[in-house]
Amino acid sequence: MANTEVDALDFEDDDLMDEDGGADVDASSSPRAPQPKLKSAITSAPKKTKGRGFREEADAERHSRLADRNYESLGSDGGPGPQRSIEGWIILVTGVHEEAQEDDLQNAFGEFGEIKNLHLNLDRRTGFVKGYALIEYENFEEAQNAITAMNGTELLTQTINVDWAFSSGPSVGSFKRKNMRSGRTHRSRSPRRRY
Amino acid sequence: MAGEEDGEFYLRYYVGHKGKFGHEFLEFEFRPDGKLRYANNSNYKNDTMIRKEVFLTPAVLRECRRIIAESEIMKEDDNNWPEPDRVGRQELEIVMGNEHISFTTSKIGSLVDVQSSKDPEGLRIFYYLVQDLKCFVFSLISLHFKIKPI
Repeated sequence: MANTEVDALDFEDDDLMDEDGGADVDASSSPRAPQPKLKSAITSAPKKTKGRGFREEADAERHSRLADRNYESLGSDGGPGPQRSIEGWIILVTGVHEEAQEDDLQNAFGEFGEIKNLHLNLDRRTGFVKGYALIEYENFEEAQNAITAMNGTELLTQTINVDWAFSSGPSVGSFKRKNMRSGRTHRSRSPRRRY
Repeated sequence: MAGEEDGEFYLRYYVGHKGKFGHEFLEFEFRPDGKLRYANNSNYKNDTMIRKEVFLTPAVLRECRRIIAESEIMKEDDNNWPEPDRVGRQELEIVMGNEHISFTTSKIGSLVDVQSSKDPEGLRIFYYLVQDLKCFVFSLISLHFKIKPI
């Protein structure tokens, strides 16, 4: 629990720092406090809740599982940018046609370098392609070229999006952008609650 | 689709049981900051706990949200699902937009269990969504760390 809170607060702090460039007293009175039963790293606005998970007794065991700090990760500089995987660089392709074959991806993405691994997972109910593919290249440049050239192009009549799969740090970028739009007349302690 | 692009996102899935090999479980979590955590504990043949974490890009989180949104799991309710029992339990917690679900049920062996339940339509959605999510997570973890997740 301590762990998830720390992460969540860091994350909020980032938003606040971004908006007004300084510490914010609100950060210390995080709105999570009235929700002791929820173990997730979620803060902010009341939500429509549903499910037996909310009615069960607090589960100390779940705490200990998630609070564990001994999770292995590959080294990174913590800065923004793509993260290298053990044997190469992984990109994600989305918008993949449900009838796509591995060959279709091989043909489209093979020209940027040898594809070391290709996962084209299927929808377990329909048996068709789920809509995404994960592709591994050995070198950064190959992956970067594939992203640059293929993102937003058409594959089997559908527009595909291509991007890195792994990041070397937290993805607060998208939240920051939303935050900026809000203007500065009001210092919301949790800007995302409006959505 | 609403809830797919905007707002908070969190997902946690757990499946496990306690038996003669101790507490064996699989759990993964997508956090709002993009961190994916994966834990797999089995004491069978003295296996040790596998715990991995890696930050995902917003593109991967978006795809995860799409899979959830298209499943329409947020419209379901676990009221009439089989309760967790000695054979095992599953937990699925998702925050998306202004909705927060925390469902629990027993392990589901096959579609026969789904059909014979009191809410086959809802449980089927859960059953397939869990498989699709596991498949997604296993691909991410195995490609990044070069381990076989199970």
